[in-house]
Amino acid sequence: MADHEYDRPTYTSDFIKSDTDKAVFLGNVVIDNMMTAMIALGAEVWSNRRRMKVLESLLEEKGVTNEMVEAYMPSEEQSAEWMADRDAFVKRTFGVLAREGDLKMSSDWQDSGS
Amino acid sequence: MLNRRNLFAATAAASVVGSTMTGRTAEARLPKNDIEPRGTNGRLERLPRLDLESQEDFLTGFRTFVNTDLTVAATKRAFKILRANGFTPRDDVPLKQALELLADDPIIGTRFRTWTSTQQMMWQNLMDEFHGNAEAYLAEMEAADNSGPGTLELNPDMDIPKYAKYEIHVQPGGYVGDPFAGHVYHYGTNNFYTDTNHQDEMHISMANAVPRPPSDGKVRRILDLGCGVGQLTVALKERFPEAEVWGIDVGGPMVRFSHMRAVDLGVDVNFAQRLAEDTRFPDGHFDIVTSYILHHEIPEETSKQVTKEAFRVLRPGGVFYPIDFYTGLFPEDKSPWGKVRWWWTHRWNQEVWYQEYARFDFPAAMGAVGFEVNEKGPPAWARVSGVDDTDIKQNDMGNGSRRRYGRNLLGVKPI
Repeated sequence: MADHEYDRPTYTSDFIKSDTDKAVFLGNVVIDNMMTAMIALGAEVWSNRRRMKVLESLLEEKGVTNEMVEAYMPSEEQSAEWMADRDAFVKRTFGVLAREGDLKMSSDWQDSGS
Repeated sequence: MLNRRNLFAATAAASVVGSTMTGRTAEARLPKNDIEPRGTNGRLERLPRLDLESQEDFLTGFRTFVNTDLTVAATKRAFKILRANGFTPRDDVPLKQALELLADDPIIGTRFRTWTSTQQMMWQNLMDEFHGNAEAYLAEMEAADNSGPGTLELNPDMDIPKYAKYEIHVQPGGYVGDPFAGHVYHYGTNNFYTDTNHQDEMHISMANAVPRPPSDGKVRRILDLGCGVGQLTVALKERFPEAEVWGIDVGGPMVRFSHMRAVDLGVDVNFAQRLAEDTRFPDGHFDIVTSYILHHEIPEETSKQVTKEAFRVLRPGGVFYPIDFYTGLFPEDKSPWGKVRWWWTHRWNQEVWYQEYARFDFPAAMGAVGFEVNEKGPPAWARVSGVDDTDIKQNDMGNGSRRRYGRNLLGVKPI
């Protein structure tokens, strides 16, 4: 039966659930999942960009032009704040790339050499 | 148009009208509980939130990327693997062996994973929207149920055959199991059509391709089998405004949405929840019986029953014009990569009957029930969305997908 129950009539019937959500096409479910998360992130980025386009279009109508946006010079205070935010974003997102490690899950205490 | 804030006032007014469903004729028009917070783009009601529209827009673009760049990459990879194993891309390699050779490759896997995830995300975004505001959307449909023009017949006690209960295209709940199947299918298929059908362009084109009965050209009644969300049905009424047009579908939520949309568009069409193989119409009732992408989603045996039923309900001289993939002219793709792709579509995109349909001798089935069969009927697919030079190249590389949109079968009931 459907997952949702409502007070109003829905004119639905039972159905046969697919098992596609259990499929693994890349040999490792983690890789499949990362691929999916990447697509979802793409949707989020595009959604923000598209909203930005709407905002810029509306602002242009109100007298804030694209040229003004392109030419905008942040203040010293803003520059420092934006750089700190940028560095934090980079570290947060890509910091893991510096990680080293070679211990498998099955390795025991003495294998670590510590 | 009323917006959601006025919804409850209008719902109270709508509830005064009687609530029986079966075979009702149109009542006087009621206030519409029309949910259109972002207005319309021609025939298309815009999705209610900018972010949702943008996410679906991204997934449409990403689908195109998968169908072109990633599919070309996967195809090249498949050919390389086949050649490395002593086969040419056109050798008739058994499916099992083709899967063993190709299924574990990461480039090929990327193509299938991205395709699947894009599809699933597209559906889930829509499901979240409509179920997240279920009360409003259900109230909107209830108000439309009681509105005209046109009629709506729902049969909640109908015995739904098993073949109709699958989640074809992995659409959650399929056509029968979710109250918003029509909403989700409508916006989801806009994604399939990659922005080329927002104004029902394809359906209008197909409606214009439907031939009149050749003997006298008279069109008084038309039946659209497996009408889905009624896009072809509405287009047929718009082409033949004097005709009585019916759209039937096994899914209650599908015909419900079809009717609501037709009411919104002001088109007088009759929708009913009925089976294509058991329409319950009288003998010789229709001048034209047509359908769009019905037959590849039902078993062969059911297709034969539908064909027999179409013959029964057509008057002598009437035409049967089923619009579907390769209605009889398409040779089965025997290339190993083609077999893997067709199988994948059948298995993981839940096109349960697709492979069976590929082997279905449709012309013979039509001839067997008594139709005079023209295997080179007018082509219904004026333009295929998402197909470009890349797809033609894929066809040259043994894919064959371009050819499936060929000429259509046309059956005429002898006089």
